[in-house]
Amino acid sequence: MSGRAFMLALVVLLTASGSHSVRGQFLHPKIKSKETTIRSVVVMPAKVNVVRDSMKGPEGMAAESDDLSARVETMLTEVLLKQKHVKAVPTTAPSADGDPQQKYNVADFQTKFDALLPKIIKKRSDVKKGRFTMGDEVLNLNLDKDTDAVVFIRGEGKKLSSGKTAFTLLVGGVPAYLRLQIGIVDARNGEVLLYTDPILAGDPTTAVDRLRKALEKGFKKLPEVKAQ
Amino acid sequence: MTKVTIPALTWLYKLAAMFPRKLTTSIVAALCLCFIFTSLSPIALAQKKTAPVEATPPPVNEQFKFGEVDLEILNQADLLDVRLQRDGLVLADEATNSYLYRVGKSLIPKGLTLERVNWTFRALRDPQPNAFALPNGSIYVTTGLMALIDNESQLAAVLAHELTHVMRRHTYLQNRSLRKKFLTINVMAAVGSMAPLSVVGAVIMAVTTVAPFIMIATIYGYSRDLEREADLKGIDMMISAEYAPEEMVNVMKLLDKDIEGENIRLFYNDHPALDERIKYMSSYLGGRADKVTHQMELNRERAAYFRNIESVMRHDIQLAINAGRARSAVYLAQRLVDFQADSENLFWLAESYRALGPRTQQLTEKELTNSAKKDASKKRERRTIEEEERELLATPAGQENSQKHQQMAEDLYKRALNAENPVPVVHRGLGMLYEKLGRGSDAAAEYEKYLELSPAAIDRGRIQRRIEALKEKQK
Repeated sequence: MSGRAFMLALVVLLTASGSHSVRGQFLHPKIKSKETTIRSVVVMPAKVNVVRDSMKGPEGMAAESDDLSARVETMLTEVLLKQKHVKAVPTTAPSADGDPQQKYNVADFQTKFDALLPKIIKKRSDVKKGRFTMGDEVLNLNLDKDTDAVVFIRGEGKKLSSGKTAFTLLVGGVPAYLRLQIGIVDARNGEVLLYTDPILAGDPTTAVDRLRKALEKGFKKLPEVKAQ
Repeated sequence: MTKVTIPALTWLYKLAAMFPRKLTTSIVAALCLCFIFTSLSPIALAQKKTAPVEATPPPVNEQFKFGEVDLEILNQADLLDVRLQRDGLVLADEATNSYLYRVGKSLIPKGLTLERVNWTFRALRDPQPNAFALPNGSIYVTTGLMALIDNESQLAAVLAHELTHVMRRHTYLQNRSLRKKFLTINVMAAVGSMAPLSVVGAVIMAVTTVAPFIMIATIYGYSRDLEREADLKGIDMMISAEYAPEEMVNVMKLLDKDIEGENIRLFYNDHPALDERIKYMSSYLGGRADKVTHQMELNRERAAYFRNIESVMRHDIQLAINAGRARSAVYLAQRLVDFQADSENLFWLAESYRALGPRTQQLTEKELTNSAKKDASKKRERRTIEEEERELLATPAGQENSQKHQQMAEDLYKRALNAENPVPVVHRGLGMLYEKLGRGSDAAAEYEKYLELSPAAIDRGRIQRRIEALKEKQK
């Protein structure tokens, strides 16, 4: 019963806050003290996965997940530029038929973030203590010298079939949602500079405005770059 | 799990309507408990375990007809192929993938064509030993498994097992079965919600919470019967292709080797336990004693296999080090050095010992108990690799291990430099070791030698920065 009460509370909260909320934003002390300023970033390919939950169990949505990943990437770039004046520089990440070693470097760095992410989630507030780092392997990405940080995007979401939606209303259960986990890492030494995890309620595959608002809220604490 | 059909529910409610409310609740509770405990009773489980398996089923499931749900799964499999390739997880080594294709293709019965199957064999860049098949005919073997196995027959055993899953359409059958199970759980949850405050609701809600977990356990593999079928059919395919069939048993024994202490047994798992699989495969092979291969022949095969996949093994050692699997890295690199002690293989063994640092080389018997593995897994979720090292270095045993492994690494780096055609990357390794030991000027000198010998190194920027930082410190 407590699980159902929690879900009900979550739905009420999300509804009250306009169907999107940010569970927390955590900044590295170097960002807070303005020792480090993020002016330009490279956004790594996002990995957002959504499943369709029906009465017969969850079904994969590989194509929709790829579309959503691309949309989140683009929208995040727009939000950072518009709201914080942070420029996204094109990644030097190789194309599918590019140099395999460079491709492996990107893949291995993404894997390294995946390995670190559960530890960050376990104690997100430790980002404020500067506890998490990905090491200087970040330099193997051979990014442009002006790049200040690398952005990693992960996410998971659930879309409900009409049957499952009705079932959830009657019996209870987790409603449709999208939860993002975004980390910004220093491009020079691999320190995790920011972690935020915006969440929004509703069908993640069709969310556009809700997604934008959730992202805007997600970077509220990130200091704005002053125009030079 | 028990299957509940809609007519059965209707009947249940008609029956319940004949009695007063309190009695109804009790009847529903009793019936639901019957459903649950009948399927979980020792008799039911025993029947499931000993379900007869056809020893040599036909290679192809000819009765299989594609439905809409199956086509959806097929589409997802195609997209997964694209994603694995795009994300740099497939090893882009034509020689290795061709080798896998040659071995895999030799196992497929001649002239066999399967609807909507296009055979591809690829190595996946993952240090965890594993292999899987997608229903569209894509077979993936991880570099972790390729580096662990001993010879081509063992590789053939893995591929034969996976090929059977595709030929017998196991993915589609498992998916259909899972969908039925999920429907059952949802229906049971609905019944429970009718009387949420009574015993019925609580029991069913509990089962609904636990059941997805049980199902996830089955998703880690196919059902017991399907796995058994793939094991035994795989042995038949190996014999037909003239591979040593007993290597199917040996590859299982290799998989049982828990170098990192991560094989935690769950309270429920539909996969036959490895020791059980070894047992029934050995007994199945008993009747084919004439097929047993001489050890000398297997040794020859081992040398040929190592020559074929030496580069994959090195690649996997790097992945294992990146993933914090230093014990596996040492084990695999030692095998490489035993096979051929050249400069590159000695370098990888040195790198593995450097990564091992304050850890022990092998886990103790106590550390390999299930509860100790669970504790270690929880700690791994919490601590970063650097934090784990710091904690170990605070103990006398950790300091001793660290010193010993650093010395071993230094000796091996030096041997690698003295070997024929030394690889430049040895200087980078020595530099990193010296930097850790606080020998700043030695470290900078080794880094400089590395950059001098490999001016186009992909990590040039990173090493250059380390040199600058070391020189800055010395000022």
